[in-house]
Amino acid sequence: MRFRRFRRSRALLATLAVPVLVAGPFTPAASAQDGEDGDRSVLRVALVQEIDHLNPFTASFASSTMIGRMAWEFMTPPSAEDATPTGGVAEKWEPSDDGLTWTFTIRDGMKWSDGQDLTSEDVKFTFDKIMNDPVAAEANGSYVENFEKVTAPDERTVKVTTSEPQASMTALDIPIVPKHIWSKVDDYSAGETDTLDMVGVGSGPFVITDYQPNRIVKLEANEHFWRGKVDVEELQFIQFENADAAVSALQSGEVDFVNRLTPAQFDALKNTDGITTSQANGRRYSDLLMNPGAKNQAGRSIGSGHPALEDVTVRQAIARAIDTETLVDKALGGYGQQPGGLVPEIYDDYHYQPSGDEKFTFDPQRANTMLDEAGYEKGGDGVRRTPDGRPLEFTLTARSSEEFDVRTADYIVGWLGDIGIKVTKDMVSDNEMDEKTTAGEYDLALSGYGTNPDPDYILAKQTCGALPTSEGSSRSNAFYCNPAYDRLYKQQLAEMDPAKRAEIVKRAQAVYYKDAPSFVLTYEQTLEAYRSDRWTGFPRQPRGDGVIMEQTGYWGFAGAKPVNGGGEGGMPTGAWVAIGAVALVVVAGGGTMLARRKGSADDRE
Amino acid sequence: MQVWQEFRGNTGGLVGAAFIVALVVASLVAPLVVDQAGLDVVTATGSPLEPPSGRFWLGTDESGRSILLLTFWGARVSLLVGFAATLLSVLVGTLVGVVSAHFGGWVSAVLMRVTDFFLVLPALVLAAVLMAVLPKSMWTLILAIGATSWPTTARLVRAQTLAVEGRPYIERSKALGGGHAHVIGKHVLPSVLPLVFANTTLVVGGSIIAESTLAFLGMAGPEISWGSMLDRANSSGAVTAGAWWYLLPPGVMIVLVVLSFTLVGRALETVLNPRLKGDR
Amino acid sequence: MTVSTTGEPAIDPDERRAGTSTVRYVAGKIGGALVSLVFVVALGFFLFRMIPGDPLATMTRERPTGAEQLAHLRERLGLDQPLWQQFLDYVGGLLRGDFGTSYMYRRPVADMIGERVWPTLLLVGTATVLAVLLGMWLGVRAAWRRGGMFDRTQTGIALALWSMPQFWLGLLLLIATQGVFPSRGMSSVDTPDGAAAQILDVAWHLTLPCLTLLLVIYAQYMLVMRSSLLEEMGADYLQTARAKGLRDDLVRRRHAVPNALLPTMTLIFLQFGMVVSGTVTVEAVFSWPGLGLLTYEALRGPDLPVLQGVFVILAGSVIVMNLLADLLYRVVDPRVRAS
Repeated sequence: MRFRRFRRSRALLATLAVPVLVAGPFTPAASAQDGEDGDRSVLRVALVQEIDHLNPFTASFASSTMIGRMAWEFMTPPSAEDATPTGGVAEKWEPSDDGLTWTFTIRDGMKWSDGQDLTSEDVKFTFDKIMNDPVAAEANGSYVENFEKVTAPDERTVKVTTSEPQASMTALDIPIVPKHIWSKVDDYSAGETDTLDMVGVGSGPFVITDYQPNRIVKLEANEHFWRGKVDVEELQFIQFENADAAVSALQSGEVDFVNRLTPAQFDALKNTDGITTSQANGRRYSDLLMNPGAKNQAGRSIGSGHPALEDVTVRQAIARAIDTETLVDKALGGYGQQPGGLVPEIYDDYHYQPSGDEKFTFDPQRANTMLDEAGYEKGGDGVRRTPDGRPLEFTLTARSSEEFDVRTADYIVGWLGDIGIKVTKDMVSDNEMDEKTTAGEYDLALSGYGTNPDPDYILAKQTCGALPTSEGSSRSNAFYCNPAYDRLYKQQLAEMDPAKRAEIVKRAQAVYYKDAPSFVLTYEQTLEAYRSDRWTGFPRQPRGDGVIMEQTGYWGFAGAKPVNGGGEGGMPTGAWVAIGAVALVVVAGGGTMLARRKGSADDRE
Repeated sequence: MQVWQEFRGNTGGLVGAAFIVALVVASLVAPLVVDQAGLDVVTATGSPLEPPSGRFWLGTDESGRSILLLTFWGARVSLLVGFAATLLSVLVGTLVGVVSAHFGGWVSAVLMRVTDFFLVLPALVLAAVLMAVLPKSMWTLILAIGATSWPTTARLVRAQTLAVEGRPYIERSKALGGGHAHVIGKHVLPSVLPLVFANTTLVVGGSIIAESTLAFLGMAGPEISWGSMLDRANSSGAVTAGAWWYLLPPGVMIVLVVLSFTLVGRALETVLNPRLKGDR
Repeated sequence: MTVSTTGEPAIDPDERRAGTSTVRYVAGKIGGALVSLVFVVALGFFLFRMIPGDPLATMTRERPTGAEQLAHLRERLGLDQPLWQQFLDYVGGLLRGDFGTSYMYRRPVADMIGERVWPTLLLVGTATVLAVLLGMWLGVRAAWRRGGMFDRTQTGIALALWSMPQFWLGLLLLIATQGVFPSRGMSSVDTPDGAAAQILDVAWHLTLPCLTLLLVIYAQYMLVMRSSLLEEMGADYLQTARAKGLRDDLVRRRHAVPNALLPTMTLIFLQFGMVVSGTVTVEAVFSWPGLGLLTYEALRGPDLPVLQGVFVILAGSVIVMNLLADLLYRVVDPRVRAS
């Protein structure tokens, strides 16, 4: 009895499966149309990184801040042309003669998306909030650390007084929020600050209209955007757990845009009809940290770096033992730029390129000679030793989650082995990496940072002031501390003339380069791809060879144009029918076999 | 001897055993035969993700290394981890099982509580956490897998020990003044060990799969193993690019090895457990 | 992480003594389960604390954060308290249903787990039900015609599938069916809103991950069912039944199968732990938004509160399933029934 029920229920299951198999495919296929969805143009962007908050005061992740840029205008956003400051909320901006007070003139006629006027009160409110409320300062507090006072003498003027001159006042990455919405909030960490009531009012090209955590963020074109309503009527950020899934979705037409592709994925998409790939020079550098003897602010040694690395000759030799061309070619599939100073080539005003003998070109012979002459003799096992007998055995710490790290680590082990240095890999989690580098618990480490159009952020990380205090919080990139560098840093911060400032910035980088507390390996290119059969005209930043997504601005998506009458997405219907048919046959065949077996079994007695 | 005679009659077991022996020999011989330069990314000669060809029979990986070479070399770590973790697991399990069954009372109660507790923990999560806490290396991996798979052996051994100790001649031995070591060494172990051995072969299969799973989750050491190859295949985007030649060899090897051990294990169980004879 | 294929139910021989009263048995089992749960919570807490890495680093990774802000964050999360104090706070929170706040997402862990439970249940539930049905059916067939072509093929297939790493099978299926099934997620965001369309969409996304899980766990049930049925078939009472002239079929249905079902049924509960482990990798491969994927992502950080929460939930459900298995066995054990 029980047995027959089993058999029957299996047949039942099989019968049910058929309509699912046949009907199912048509559901997704039906929705993969061209850029026009009904009469709305919807741009669907795949987002592989997480979003922590939409609340602009606490949003820290790159993806969250990117969405924030779409929704709230900055005072002086970096331009699409070359990432230099351009008008946003502010129309004009002037420093005083002593450089301590900046006067911003708010654009006339700016409105919030709910129709209310955008005035200097909103600006003052935003800055004051970050200055006074530690929770609200979580995301952008570092920009206002130097602020002493913010005043709004009239509706269109804001004056900011700083305690020291701050040339980076034109690079404030702070979303300006409406006072009439945000002044009602007491606790800026409360969950309600992420709701549409709060984040749904903005001044950017888009307005946030829907937020389902871990699934999707939807934005609509802002009618009141001061530059005029954009062509993209709806912008969706759809969350994917990994890049592979996003790539499949692009191929099937489920999304229109994917970024942060690996070289393999990029190459796989290259010659696909209807899809255009875009490689852009990036604003991120990757470097090899070489622990130069980590110390904290009080001058006390911390961490566990190998003492041999305190010798600049060893570091320079290591730099000369690394073949960055092969690295870019093999580990990045060719999608990277050759390195120079800390500021990537993309910001060419401030980019430093060493030349002549200063440059650490790939020259293992010379590296070997340098080490020989400095007294690091090779032992019987081929590993060099310090004069007092300690072998040059270093640990290379790198993130197991980063493709580039994983690949590069193997190469570095090989190359350094060739000059008599034994390297052991230690692949760790992101968290552990942060902890080790902050505490100086590393010999060699693979690191990297995203930079901004204004070099202040990245230069500040190399000053003695960035070293950890005794409590252990450190902003230092490589535990570099050189008074000569610090002097140059201060100079550039106070220099208001752009050309002169650029010169100082380059000199500072040159000092850093020579001291080699880290060696920049490459500026990774950003690899993106989109459905060109549906969208086109994405403005890049910088114009020509920059990125589209994750810009320091909203240009990429705000300026996209739908392609009319685009091709169909998804699998051709014919394929679906074929699959349904095959499924039918399989089920039918199986059922027949079952029936026949049953018969034969019963025949036996 | 009789065991071997019966075992020989079981085709599955024979094939499995032969395969394992061949693989172990190959792994031991590998360092002498393999050109290790082919494993180093710096000296790799192929271009990334080449499909199988005359030059590279199984194609290349994302750094241009021969997948045939990598698969061959990866056997060493995969097998070593499998065997070592199993050894650890079986040792601990057998110890716990025998002690618990033999001594009974509160010792048994405590040990069984601990065993049940470990049975309940999600093994994968626990192993992953251990890998995160301790420095990532092959030995930590062995520890992690061994520490999460001993309970099953413990239960099995305990049940078997109880069965053995219930027999009359054990009572007699104890009555005659045989000490713990005597009873365990002379009577319990010889009866229990064959079954333990059969179970061991199954645990090896599980350990090898566990190694590959942990490697896939990014929790393994830096050495080349079948699991690490699969992890690299996945995270370098080779899977999306359709590089099936990267995905198949390590996986197929895992299946073959585990299957071989399973067949051997089942054959041994048949031989040692008369009730199942003729039914396999 | 393995169970023998001979179908030995891992029930403690001690407890088969029919003398124990049911009430004492049940009380004892429940008490034991509670004790285990307490240990799990404690182990989870202290074990995860040992993972190196400063949680604040995860939270402030991409933004420049001043010393003041870091101190403030540390205080807000209670990370400046001594360890035993943090533990007590944690337990207190658990009893209230508060699992703490995720480091990476800064949302309540309870919410995150709540969101992800139902997709995992859907996936695991469907796969288990199908696997049990398929496994038992095939097991019975194979045992009844032992040695035959069907038996040998099925056993061979089951053994092969059982030897596969689940994630590998998943990846293979992905490559083999490239483009046919959705390769990720539980549903497409642009599916029309009607219930039928939504259900079909989820079912469509469910196919591959479910198939992967199913193929690996059905094999276990099939082999166990087969073995236990073979054991039953050798039993005396069956010979008697046949001698009396009862048809093969009836003998099979009325006697052998029901008795052989018992170890298989209890196996379902006991194998829950293995299935749970499987979901982590399967969900990772297919980006199925369940607890497994959550664990996988949390391991990357590591996001301690989430890992702790998932650990407690998973271990807790295994404890519950084991408890149910013990109770079920007690109720259904023929030796007990007979007396």
